[in-house]
Amino acid sequence: MRILLPIKRVIDPYAKVKPLGDGSGIDTGNVKFDVNPFDEIAVEEAVRMKEKDPSIETIAISIGGAECEDQLRKCLAMGADKAILVESTREHDPSTIAHELKAWVEELKPDLILMGKQSTDGESNQVGQMLAALLGWPQATYASKITIEGGNIEVVRETDSGEETLTLPLPAVVTTDLRLNEPRYIALPGIIRARNKPLEKATEKSNKEPNIRYTKFQSPPARPAGRKVANVTELLAALSERGVSL
Amino acid sequence: MVTENALRGCSFFSSTPETAFAPEDFIADELLMIQMAEKFSREEILPQVEAIDQQEPGLMPALIAKAGELGFCGIDTPEAYGGLGLSKNLAARILEFLSLNGSFSVTIGITSGISQVGVSLFGNEAQKKKYLPLLTSGEQIGAYCLSEPNSGSDALSMSSRAEQKDGKWVINGTKMWISNAQWATQFIVLAKVEDKVTAFIVERDFPGVSIAREEHKMGLKGSSTARVVLENAEVPLENVIWEPGKGHYIAFNALNLGRFKLASMSIGPAREALRCAAAYASDRKQFGKSLVEFELIQKKLAESAARFFAAESMIYRTGALIDTAFDYCKTLDLPEIDANRKAAEEYAIECSACKVFATEAEGFIVDEAIQTYGGYGFTEEFPVARLYRDARVSRIYEGTNEINRIFLADRFLKRVKEGKASVVASGDSFVSELAGAAFAKVGDAPGQAKVGALSDLLMLSYAEQSARLRAARFPRYGAVYDLFLNWANVQAGQAYQQVTGEGVTIPAPRSANLGEIAQAVVRAKGPLD
Repeated sequence: MRILLPIKRVIDPYAKVKPLGDGSGIDTGNVKFDVNPFDEIAVEEAVRMKEKDPSIETIAISIGGAECEDQLRKCLAMGADKAILVESTREHDPSTIAHELKAWVEELKPDLILMGKQSTDGESNQVGQMLAALLGWPQATYASKITIEGGNIEVVRETDSGEETLTLPLPAVVTTDLRLNEPRYIALPGIIRARNKPLEKATEKSNKEPNIRYTKFQSPPARPAGRKVANVTELLAALSERGVSL
Repeated sequence: MVTENALRGCSFFSSTPETAFAPEDFIADELLMIQMAEKFSREEILPQVEAIDQQEPGLMPALIAKAGELGFCGIDTPEAYGGLGLSKNLAARILEFLSLNGSFSVTIGITSGISQVGVSLFGNEAQKKKYLPLLTSGEQIGAYCLSEPNSGSDALSMSSRAEQKDGKWVINGTKMWISNAQWATQFIVLAKVEDKVTAFIVERDFPGVSIAREEHKMGLKGSSTARVVLENAEVPLENVIWEPGKGHYIAFNALNLGRFKLASMSIGPAREALRCAAAYASDRKQFGKSLVEFELIQKKLAESAARFFAAESMIYRTGALIDTAFDYCKTLDLPEIDANRKAAEEYAIECSACKVFATEAEGFIVDEAIQTYGGYGFTEEFPVARLYRDARVSRIYEGTNEINRIFLADRFLKRVKEGKASVVASGDSFVSELAGAAFAKVGDAPGQAKVGALSDLLMLSYAEQSARLRAARFPRYGAVYDLFLNWANVQAGQAYQQVTGEGVTIPAPRSANLGEIAQAVVRAKGPLD
């Protein structure tokens, strides 16, 4: 069985970001980058599956500049078997990524695609769904538990109304949520071994143009100061002034 | 290409390199290792500091075992003996981030450092194979036994004795202040054979070895410190390291490298203290404003960041130099032991300078952290009181800062006599100019106060140059460098006056915006990076 793990390089999710002065993008000077935390959860899950079944092969793939090698190496250090860096410096959106991944899926023929439900930078939450649609594969999003049973995969997914359990035939696309697992400490020997694991550099297979154009980045306006009310009656009055009816 | 240039101990004093290694030069997967060390500290150690300080049974050995599984107990030990074979510089950087709590820091610092280095540099193959893997894996803990009740700084005056009897070594003596004593299963013990210092590997279970009660300490309460008593302790003949009479080389070279490592272990807690102080200064409001908006608080954060920056710059510059010296000495036509000794000695002066500077920077930073917290800092409700207590011993162990100050100038003058260093009249900064002038004027047989001041000048020259080289490469450090330079110039002026008895004019200070630096510290959540 082969698992494909799409990985995104994102700005350290705990860093405070600010837009560039001209609004053309985010200021990336002196900020750290990491693997998108949801993707890291996907890698962890795949590595755990492999620990139970050593015949599983795990491949991490990332689309972006040469610097994405750092994040792919981290996935290799966590235990992924190999990595592919699709070098691309052009603008992307969820649809271009989904198309590019589709092309790689056709070549690599994985049985399962495991990826974060969204990235912590763009927060689009679209690529997994688009990819499944393009491939015509079943999908389960927001996974909090995954079990492989023969040719099927059982996924417990988190929804607004509670947990839902789906059984999907493979191949399938599964996107991961926070509660699926807690990524391991990466042991130093694993980091050293990752230096010698295969990391293939490739060029883009798809020339899909983005549907979305980013025109300007700006910080949200500062919140105006709040106002103190003396009691519930005043609160209700203040709310109804603003058109909130209970 | 490693060349003879690798042996340039003390060259900072007479020349300015084009560039020097800075922490920014650690590469991507090394940064991942460092990041894992910080994660381990934050998730496994810091939430348990109370239990650690109470020496909850089994806790510390379990933490060491866990650290060992992740590879943290043998970073720079060769792979053949269970280590990772990485550079000493990277090992030190990782250790800095494993050192956010003092008690864990000293425990892992000793078992991964000074208790292995004697065997790994000077032991024979059988000793390395037998003893090192047990330490690098974290299964066992090691200790290093040099001090005695009546022999601390004057280490070679030890009274422990070893003699051969019935095909064994029999050792008698008491070793004092032995870190890790309670948990250690293997001890490097220094004792005299006739009048020659000799190093032995002593297992806890050997007949005649016992551990006295825990010392009741001011800080580092979670680390074990006790006497190791050797009463007709029986040690196999093959457990001598190198050969009888070579113990002082082993002890002192282990200490040279130990001092370098201790420097990084000292800025780990300083890093944490500055992080806490910055967070508190930003959250706490008085007179309707955050503390960080008050200039006197800004000054504390800014000066702490400046001192930290200089310490960090000199430590990792030194680590890279040490690694180059080891790489180069391997290529020489020398027995491995002699090559190791040559390499470990080359940067002894820089190692001492790092130890003294970093531990004093740590002392300053934890003190200012308490002051930033005000009354709350004096309570156990907040983490800075522990950081303050734990930091105090850094200036005492691994050679007191006084002994290191005697050693620095002394060794420097010895190198000058050997033609391996030179006193030059023109330095590359006000500090090094004063240092050159002070050495030229010191005269014969200066007292300890003058020798100490000369050492300060050497240390400040090295710190200032290291900070300057780094700030030149990374302009974001310009303001903390300026602030540090102002302080270093004043310190150097005082030291010069002490040596010469003459007055000196200090250059006008550079302007440094305390508010901007303090805000940068808040944004960086601690030292600037």
